[in-house]
Amino acid sequence: MSVLERALRFPSNALEYTNILLTTNDAVIGASPREVVWTHRETTLYRYRSSNRRYAVPVLLVFALINRPEIFDLRPGSSFVEFLLGEGFDVFLVDWGYPDEEDADMGLDDFVCDELEWAVRETLRASGQDELTLTGWCIGATLCAMYCGLDRGPGRRAPVKNLVELTMPIDGRASDYAKWVGDDDFDVDEVAEQWGSVPGGAIDFANKMLKPVTNFWTTYRRLWDGVQEGTARPEAYQTMAKWVADNPPFPGRAWAQWIRLMYRDASLLRGRVRLRGRLVDLSRIDMSVLVITAGADHIAPRPGTMPFFDLISSRDVEHLARPGGHIGLVAGSAARKELWPSIAEWLAERSDG
Amino acid sequence: MADRENGAGSPEEQVRALFEEAESSAAKAFEQLVSKPSFGRLLAMSAENVAAVTRISFDAVDLLWRNLRLAGRADIVRLSRQLHRTEDKLERVLQEVEILRDEMARERDEEKARS
Repeated sequence: MSVLERALRFPSNALEYTNILLTTNDAVIGASPREVVWTHRETTLYRYRSSNRRYAVPVLLVFALINRPEIFDLRPGSSFVEFLLGEGFDVFLVDWGYPDEEDADMGLDDFVCDELEWAVRETLRASGQDELTLTGWCIGATLCAMYCGLDRGPGRRAPVKNLVELTMPIDGRASDYAKWVGDDDFDVDEVAEQWGSVPGGAIDFANKMLKPVTNFWTTYRRLWDGVQEGTARPEAYQTMAKWVADNPPFPGRAWAQWIRLMYRDASLLRGRVRLRGRLVDLSRIDMSVLVITAGADHIAPRPGTMPFFDLISSRDVEHLARPGGHIGLVAGSAARKELWPSIAEWLAERSDG
Repeated sequence: MADRENGAGSPEEQVRALFEEAESSAAKAFEQLVSKPSFGRLLAMSAENVAAVTRISFDAVDLLWRNLRLAGRADIVRLSRQLHRTEDKLERVLQEVEILRDEMARERDEEKARS
């Protein structure tokens, strides 16, 4: 395209570009039909019914405490939930909701020992099964690992048949986050107390600051290039942009615990985490485990996940080391053809089909 | 044309390549910058200050509001926490009821099987 052509097309391109940006909030995400199974405080358990259910073991999806779980069901044609339903799985999803100041006292113990424990219980009741597949992503994956490693008394184990961990941080001490918040000079308890629940916008800003030029400039420049060349996919951009901008607050107590556990003590590695007095020992994880790591993950870098394999006692362990970023690996346009079929294949062999 | 054959491209392409190179260099430079401990300290202090200022502002507005005998944010939070505590208790009671109901159903089935 010549310079003159570009100049002539500039007004219409500028109009299209601003239209995409300004109507981002109108994009529909998480559109798959679902029903509420259970609610408690801010937490909601949803069920997505499969019309061609082939596997007995239900899949429970657990996302992080930051951002929204709609990333599992971004848009028709690019939805992990939709894909699993198509493959014949019975899919449930935990939504942590929008915790506010009144939830500031919620800690990781509340999320693991109450919310997740009860969500698992309700999933099993609703599906009529004794065990399920627990699928966690990001902090959600760490919460799932903690849930499976929780002391339940002699001879008792978590009712989890399969554990799928997507881009899971276990030791964050080597990440850039640790350089920001790993130092004792940064008083996490004080910040948590002042803020109550840490605003989602602040956490989003910190996440974006890990790659400032990419997040604050390149994303918009690429969209502009796409508009100019006629290759822009407004729907794809808008759904992802809307999801990225939707940031629920992080309950203060849980946030402070997370910083200490992940970026200061790495206490999960040392088996020193106790939730309500119950020891979290990852060697209790003896079920089938699938771990997926992303080569270009700057939020949960692969080396921070690798110690997990030395801690668990499972005999059936598989690691899919793929290229891609923290979110793009599972929600990107290539995931449908590359990663999701691999996950479905792994699950199919272990879900009593 | 000679330039194009040599792989140099049109002036427009050259400008574009230069721009992308500059963008990539800037991205790397900024990533290095944010990974410095000094930047971390700056960010941490800023976060502490913003949190404190937010809290002070909220407290001041809340004080004014409550002196007007209107429910402030603190009152609403306190009320919400009480609701949460009640919901926690209700959830536990519901779970107990469900467990008892399951046990009774099991016993009933066993009795039926025996008779």
